[in-house]
Amino acid sequence: MNEGLVVIVRSIIGFFSLLIFTRIIGKEQISQLTFFDYVLGITIGSIAATASTDLSSRAWPHWVSLLTWAALGYIMEVITLKWRSAAKYFEGQPAIIIYNGKILEKTLKNERYRISDILSLLRNQGIFDINQVNFAIIESNGRLSVMKKPEYQPLTPKDMNIQVQDNGLNTILIYDGILIENNLNELKKDRKWLMEQLNKQGVYDISEVFLAYVAPSGSFYIDKYSDHVDCPDEFV
Amino acid sequence: MKKFLNAALPVFILIIFVVVMQSGSFLKRPIGDEEDISRSIFALMEEVQNENWDGAQKRAEKLNETWAKIVKRIQFSSERDEIHSFYAALARLNGAIMAEDKSAALMELNEAYNHYNRLAQ
Repeated sequence: MNEGLVVIVRSIIGFFSLLIFTRIIGKEQISQLTFFDYVLGITIGSIAATASTDLSSRAWPHWVSLLTWAALGYIMEVITLKWRSAAKYFEGQPAIIIYNGKILEKTLKNERYRISDILSLLRNQGIFDINQVNFAIIESNGRLSVMKKPEYQPLTPKDMNIQVQDNGLNTILIYDGILIENNLNELKKDRKWLMEQLNKQGVYDISEVFLAYVAPSGSFYIDKYSDHVDCPDEFV
Repeated sequence: MKKFLNAALPVFILIIFVVVMQSGSFLKRPIGDEEDISRSIFALMEEVQNENWDGAQKRAEKLNETWAKIVKRIQFSSERDEIHSFYAALARLNGAIMAEDKSAALMELNEAYNHYNRLAQ
């Protein structure tokens, strides 16, 4: 029996099974995961790891376990998507923890948070004074959402009745030394125009360019492979 | 077509995995007459019963060779401990044949047969 070979084959099975199952389960980001999703992920990963390395048992029962956990995770996801009450029950619901600058101690206790946790989460959002908070809500994924009181809200151009230009997306023309023709056509420009822009900045070949794009304002940005920027090696 | 492939490819991969993991039960079956472990064990039992130790020695060597072929096929779908137990039973059987110990040889043959039956189950 070649144990190394068996582990390789089992690892391939575990790796791709995990990849397929996690794709089926959902595309939630780590930041959106509830505590249960997190634990579910760890459990499924642990089963896959055991399936790869535990040669004292066959891979099959581990794989069936992996499939069952993934299937249950998927079923839970479908249920919570379809029934709001089920989602509230399984995933919990947001809870207001600070209202009008006052901490709601009962909610704090129910959610099992310490005040130091809340202060830390507030500081992460740049808030050092609870008096500034109108609402602070603990989301079901454990994150804190904060709405400041109107007098502490940042000023926006709308408040000042200032007209601002619509921000669009940059159009990348050269990426890693390769010209993206479709984007050039979308801008209704041709290669000649692009070369003129490059020549202005002392570039005579597209392959010299690492990144080049046109900003919505019309400005042209270029970054060469050989920028020769003097960057300090050490920071104080 | 692309959508179909996106759905079909993972299903196809998973089916291959299931086949690999479940392959032991059919891969341990003999491909030719010479690879039949069960038959080899029964033939060996007969030699031991008749106390034909030279014949038993030859058949035990043949059984070892056959097992070496089979184990390569079933290693991906079997428990390591069952495989090792079968190896151990074969080693003890060789010793029993060398010592011309009929009861020990029969015990080891029965144990080996039992392990073989449980492989990839």
